[in-house]
Amino acid sequence: MALTKKKSRWLMAKKGFLDMLPLNLAVLPWGILCGSLAIQRDFSALEAILMPLIVFAGSAQLVAIELIANNASLATILFTTFIISSRHFLYGLALRDKLKVLPTKWRYSLGFLLTDELFALSGNSKAFVGQLRLIYAVVAGASFYFFWLLWNVTGVIAGSYLPDLTNLGLDFAIAVTFIALVIPTIVNIPILVSVIVAAILSVLFKLMQFELDLVAAAIIAMYCGYLTDRFLSKNDDKDDRQLSPNLKDSL
Amino acid sequence: MTLLTIVLMAVITFTSRYLFIHPRLPVKLGDKMAKLLSFSAPAVLTAIWVPIIFVQQGQLSISLQNPYLIAATFSVLTAAKSKSVYLTMIVGLITFVLSRYVLSL
Repeated sequence: MALTKKKSRWLMAKKGFLDMLPLNLAVLPWGILCGSLAIQRDFSALEAILMPLIVFAGSAQLVAIELIANNASLATILFTTFIISSRHFLYGLALRDKLKVLPTKWRYSLGFLLTDELFALSGNSKAFVGQLRLIYAVVAGASFYFFWLLWNVTGVIAGSYLPDLTNLGLDFAIAVTFIALVIPTIVNIPILVSVIVAAILSVLFKLMQFELDLVAAAIIAMYCGYLTDRFLSKNDDKDDRQLSPNLKDSL
Repeated sequence: MTLLTIVLMAVITFTSRYLFIHPRLPVKLGDKMAKLLSFSAPAVLTAIWVPIIFVQQGQLSISLQNPYLIAATFSVLTAAKSKSVYLTMIVGLITFVLSRYVLSL
């Protein structure tokens, strides 16, 4: 029994929504914090809502709100935003070959929606290939956008009436969703090496209060994974040659 | 002024996400670069979650008094065994709440 086109689109949309749902819920405390912090720092409701609406970036929003409230210079605010957002360059690069070929409308929408969370769901080698997977990605990304906006607006409305939710340890919700997404992708030694290096360096750089902590840790970790992969495949080549010296000729 | 700042921030975040998927950008990724970038998801996502567990108020916290560490340990084990996002979240959040409660006694 073949699925009709309409039915399979609907199923993919549903799957995109359900896969993103845990992440949508995990950012609730951060969204509410962003909204309420903006109001407490004397942003107008319009400004507070424009943040999730067009900036749409958790940590950049939080840091910028504090900077703006402390009358930091425009250059400082924009430079900090750039540093915090710089990890997205990696996402764009990693997905470049898949996304650059898409029609404009898909490309711009997915580019706008390309958060940590959407990138985390894009690990499949066939991600973004074919209309159904595009529907999956857009629904997942758009639902995240919607929920992020919803939590921010909730924070704007609740404003100073809510206690600081981050002290309740709710940031653990973010950590556990990323654990749930990363751990199952560790399927070989190079990825394991990359994860261990990223773990150690990110903690080290954070303690050193290094501004580019996240991106620097990630890039070094990626390189270590890459080197491990090359080292292992070179050894494989050597083994192959020892076993069958004529293999190279026969290829 | 704040409005202008917010609009410029939006330009930066959008550019950071969109730039490298723009087809006209003269960037060609070779095999080596593609291989390197295949490690970006585990590397970046790990660099986001691990400091949440180990760094509390700017200090390194490796002890059984750290509920984040206890719950993260259970979460990692559950994720490795089950590969289920929902189950991992449930186990992680329950062990987190429980260990916070027990540690506060």
